[in-house]
Amino acid sequence: MQKGEMYVGWSTKDDVRKRGGSGGLVTSMLAAALEKKFVDAVVVLKKINEFEAVPIITSDVNEVLNSAGSLHSVPSNFAKLIANRNLKVALPAKGCDVRGIIEQGKRNAINLDNTFIVGLNCGGSMHPVVTREMLEVMYKIKPEDVHGEEIEKGKLIFETKDGKEHAITIDELEEKGYGRRESCRYCTIKVPNNSDIACGNWGVTGDLVGKATFVEINSEKGAKLLQNAVDAGYVQVQKPDEKGVAMRAKIKGVMEDLGKKWKGKVFVPIENGRLEYFRKELEHCIDCGACKTVCPTCSCGDVSKCTEYHFRGDAYKMSMYHLVRFLHLADACIGCGQCSDVCPADIPLTRLYRRFANPVQEQLKYEPGMDMQKPPYFEVKLNE
Amino acid sequence: MSAEAVAATTPAKTDGWEPKIVAFCCNWCSYGGADSAGMGRFQQPASTRIIRVMCSGRIDPLHVFNAFLEGADAVLVTGCHIGDCHYVNGNDKTKIKYKYLENVVRELGIEKERLQLNWISASEGERFANFIRDVTAQIKKLGPSPLKPEGVA
Ligand SMILES: Cc1cc2nc3c(=O)[nH]c(=O)nc-3n(C[C@H](O)[C@H](O)[C@H](O)COP(=O)(O)OP(=O)(O)OC[C@H]3O[C@@H](n4cnc5c(N)ncnc54)[C@H](O)[C@@H]3O)c2cc1C
Ligand code: SF4
Ligand code: SF4
Ligand code: SF4
Ligand code: FES
Repeated sequence: MQKGEMYVGWSTKDDVRKRGGSGGLVTSMLAAALEKKFVDAVVVLKKINEFEAVPIITSDVNEVLNSAGSLHSVPSNFAKLIANRNLKVALPAKGCDVRGIIEQGKRNAINLDNTFIVGLNCGGSMHPVVTREMLEVMYKIKPEDVHGEEIEKGKLIFETKDGKEHAITIDELEEKGYGRRESCRYCTIKVPNNSDIACGNWGVTGDLVGKATFVEINSEKGAKLLQNAVDAGYVQVQKPDEKGVAMRAKIKGVMEDLGKKWKGKVFVPIENGRLEYFRKELEHCIDCGACKTVCPTCSCGDVSKCTEYHFRGDAYKMSMYHLVRFLHLADACIGCGQCSDVCPADIPLTRLYRRFANPVQEQLKYEPGMDMQKPPYFEVKLNE
Repeated sequence: MSAEAVAATTPAKTDGWEPKIVAFCCNWCSYGGADSAGMGRFQQPASTRIIRVMCSGRIDPLHVFNAFLEGADAVLVTGCHIGDCHYVNGNDKTKIKYKYLENVVRELGIEKERLQLNWISASEGERFANFIRDVTAQIKKLGPSPLKPEGVA
């Protein structure tokens, strides 16, 4: 097995295959890595209920096997969890998670040589609180009655405990302000080729639909990880058919174009009154610092420039904390949406931060989290 | 027409109002330039507060934000000409940092005249004086900075 190859595969454990998002390959690959001492630990999501899960670091193979399945209403942040721990670890990661991990790698907080990143294709994730409200308003069902969810043919389907299925198209949900988080709508990392191995259901055809995972190997580490799982008898793979490969490429293209369109819709240029706009949005900030704590590209820790020079008593017209962060994230923000997710004052922070990051990153032709390229600030050859 | 001439022909937004301009100058070049401007008796407005730093590379974007938040109507980042920095490449770093800073300040909706970068050597007294005069005229036209705290002149 080597970089660039594609396979369709599934878990050899029936139970994992059934529970898995699309064949349980990811879960089995992670479990095999742990079992064969390829890594010391694995990070997976531990479900609390249908809408909440916490990422955990575990060395228990059973815990890994139990984690099978995709949770669309949980935007997890794995990068900060494994930062500064010096672990030999394997973990699943959506495009934005991968970008966060790579950025922490650049900041020497994660050793990427010891990190096996299993990328998950990602069409988008939802905010748990918004999901609950959506269930009541749009689906007219109680969140407690939900038993499972899946996305199929552009529809978000919830299954209730009575066995009934409730489906609404994602377009309709988003028109009403529900559905995917705003940052996911304009995200264009649909197949995480920045990971070691990209896994998803796009490209799985015929009888295998829903029962197999399509994988693309992006690195030597990825090849080793899959080979190990095959050798250990945890997963079975075969070559994908041409139709599947073409289909996957096509959906990827369509989704990326859709993301670009959304970007234009969300970031309509503000000709006048920009300062007022930012001031108004930040008016209710309570200085809790959660947006910084969660930010997967920040690795300053507790003592940082944005907090040390910010005193509420100054009563400045703009928050020094946010000004410094606007600057520091101009080349670093990966648009993961976590800052908006956690803000207790419901400030649409990602939208604000991207206002600064979009032009800077376009100008510098720099996309953080996609590869090991250092921020341009550090790459400029001085005194030439 | 120079900016000064423009200012002379168009009525200022705030007649009689003197803007507050914070100019960061490096010890070895632009501060010397300011000095020569004085010694050469080049006339310049009383709008400027000079803050001397050892090298323009020491000017942290945070200093610039702070000046604006405390009420500066314009902030000037100045240093030695590229290649002349006393610490080899301090001003190369300034140049890169400034690019980021400029982007953020523009995107915030602050007019471009309010943040400017200029390289001035110790012997360029006249250049320093002209620069200050031009900026003062530009800012007089724009009026007080929107970031100025309430109650600060
Ligand atoms: C939010 C989301 C959106 C997706 N959208 C697409 C898509 O549009 N197209 C496509 O081809 N594939 C998509 N996938 C991937 C797909 O659903 C499967 O995860 C993938 O095919 C692997 O299937 P599997 O059965 O091998 O994984 P499993 O064996 O089920 O393993 C899944 C692993 O992912 C982890 N996980 C579950 N939810 C999350 C989460 N929210 N964030 C991070 N890790 C999580 C679990 O802990 C588990 O370890 C998406 C996945 C997620 C989580
Ligand atoms: S930001 Fe992109 S990768 Fe992350 S959850 Fe949203 S769509 Fe998926
Ligand atoms: S600023 Fe927000 S969107 Fe950008 S990387 Fe940090 S948490 Fe993610
Ligand atoms: S999370 Fe919200 S309230 Fe807390 S510091 Fe960030 S913007 Fe302010
Ligand atoms: S000493 Fe003048 S810029 Fe460095």
